[in-house]
Amino acid sequence: MLRRLFLPLVLLVLAYALWASADFMEIAAGVALFMFGMLCLEEGFKTFTGGTLESLLRKSTDRLWKSLSFGVVSTTAMQSSSLVSLITVSFVSAEMITLAAGIGIIMGANIGTTTGAWLIAGLGLKVDIAAYAMPGLIFGMLLIMQKSKTLKGFGNLLLGFAFLFLGIHYMKEGFDAFQGNFDLSAYALPGLMGLLVYTLVGMLITVIMQSSHASLLIIITALSAGQVTYENALALAIGANLGSTITIILGALASNLGGKRLAASHVLFNVLTAAVAIVFIGQIAWLVDQGGFLLGIREDDYLLKLALFHTLFNVMGVLLLAPFVQPLSRLLIARITFQKQSAETPLYLYPEALETPETAVNAVRKEVRHLFDNAFGLLAHGVSMKRSVVKSEESLSEAVKYTRKIFPVDVDDVYEDKIKSLHSDIVDFIAKAQAEESTQKATEELYVLRQASRKLVEAVKGMKHLHKNLSRYGLSTNPAVRERYDLIRLQLARLLRDLHRLLEADSNDVTTLSLDALRVSLEKSSRQLIDELDEMIRHRRLVARVATSIMNDESYVSDISTNLIDAVHTLLLPQLDDDSSSLTLDKQEISQLVDEGAEKTGA
Amino acid sequence: MKLKKLLEQVGDFLDADSKTQAKEIKSIRKVLKELKKKEHKLKAELKGLPKAEEEARDELQIKLDVIYAQRKKGLDRVRELKQSRKEKDD
Repeated sequence: MLRRLFLPLVLLVLAYALWASADFMEIAAGVALFMFGMLCLEEGFKTFTGGTLESLLRKSTDRLWKSLSFGVVSTTAMQSSSLVSLITVSFVSAEMITLAAGIGIIMGANIGTTTGAWLIAGLGLKVDIAAYAMPGLIFGMLLIMQKSKTLKGFGNLLLGFAFLFLGIHYMKEGFDAFQGNFDLSAYALPGLMGLLVYTLVGMLITVIMQSSHASLLIIITALSAGQVTYENALALAIGANLGSTITIILGALASNLGGKRLAASHVLFNVLTAAVAIVFIGQIAWLVDQGGFLLGIREDDYLLKLALFHTLFNVMGVLLLAPFVQPLSRLLIARITFQKQSAETPLYLYPEALETPETAVNAVRKEVRHLFDNAFGLLAHGVSMKRSVVKSEESLSEAVKYTRKIFPVDVDDVYEDKIKSLHSDIVDFIAKAQAEESTQKATEELYVLRQASRKLVEAVKGMKHLHKNLSRYGLSTNPAVRERYDLIRLQLARLLRDLHRLLEADSNDVTTLSLDALRVSLEKSSRQLIDELDEMIRHRRLVARVATSIMNDESYVSDISTNLIDAVHTLLLPQLDDDSSSLTLDKQEISQLVDEGAEKTGA
Repeated sequence: MKLKKLLEQVGDFLDADSKTQAKEIKSIRKVLKELKKKEHKLKAELKGLPKAEEEARDELQIKLDVIYAQRKKGLDRVRELKQSRKEKDD
């Protein structure tokens, strides 16, 4: 009820404030233009995230200093720590970069975002910045109307910068006029009380606007108009830094574990930095004075001094916490873990992963792997083997030979719970990813991954039928029947073990080519089983009814195996050199190899 | 100077197919090398296996046969690509 009333109430109060004060309207319009500019910039940069940003991100995050620098440079260029933070969340969530690298980028982004304060304090309020906005608006609009995606992107960037400049201009005008009518500086609070209250105010402003940039703009313009004292402005800047964690927290709410851990590290980093800044505010202010003197900043130029303070305390935070990035990352991984939940819940399909085509593909790939793991467990239980036994080095023939009971698995139930629901989530997510702007490569990859997911579903469907006969004949007292079903179980268990090993191994160009050996092996066993069955029927060792059941089951095993191999082939594909796929054997070549093998053994 | 650059670009454009082929040959050769390494490793494994372990020997033999077939396929492809490049040059 309260939530439903909140927005209309805010709108009403805002409308009254706009009607009551023309100066407030100018300030609010400035903030709105500034934030719209940031949206345009985000939109513009997103146009260029079709691969370049992703590959750059991965290459530049293998060392802490690299991820830090990346955070600084990208945030300085984009003038939006929110965009960099959100992209980083999506990359950590999709496990494309490590948590430690993500923390490095976030720390760097905290320093990068301080360049905004320099831009506003050094340039925005001293030069007639609105004059620069006009050409940006004109050229930006012209470019945005073009068909080419790149030109549109450039258009958005130009418009973004133009609106940022216009926003700064209107804020400045508004505060200058406001100064004449109302004196906020009368509410200045000295001492520790002032520090804490204004830190809280700075935080609240940033939480409401979800942009530390916009808060800093307000703080700097208010300071330039003499509406707040220098000391209180410092506290507001600390608060703005604290409040900026809200964007990443909101982003991580809908994210997976990786995103949540990154958000936790961001909160931890900003809270610690703020705490240190509050405790040592006197010393930092002294450092600012000394630094300002060295940089040639005038004693009474509080705007630039505020920008310097903002940079200094963020750099200090990074210097203090940089040595602890690895331990922090280990701690977060150990502390923030999954609540016990059913395995069918998607682990990687979060809205943030839709941010760029590459993260979407990665998330789907990981989820299909998750589906494979679920299918692996179900199939292993289907042939009455523990998952751990199949993954171990134990002899599978022995395990099959000494099986005393067929596992009572309700395949239909498990299929609905752990396979079908996950497959539906994957299909749904792919549809959403395709609705977003995508690259041709990403679209093709998503198509192939959807096929792989479907093949895993088909493999499990095969087990539905197979398991019925396994329950009936798997432990038959007729040794001939038991022997056949043991062979069927062994064949499937071996395949599961081989596929698991291939997926776990360090892949190289020939890993996927190894799947051909599994295909040959499969066809060979299949032929052997059929031949033996024919022989048994001829010699009346098996009744025809049971023999046909075994034949049907052999066909299910064959389908299950082929589907599993095909799905794993897709999962291994990113490691495969495109040209080596031309060496993969086709059906005919595989049959030929089996024929040759049979001739050699004289079968 | 500008004309020279333009001519170079036109040359590159017309030569694109041959460049793709050269790239394919190079990458197939890389895969062939890795297959050869794997073949040696498997042969050594097979040699070390006692004759009694017939099943494991069979599995290894299948892997070796497959690698042999894949290498043959790769070599044929390289020969074919080289031939096609030669014909274009002539």
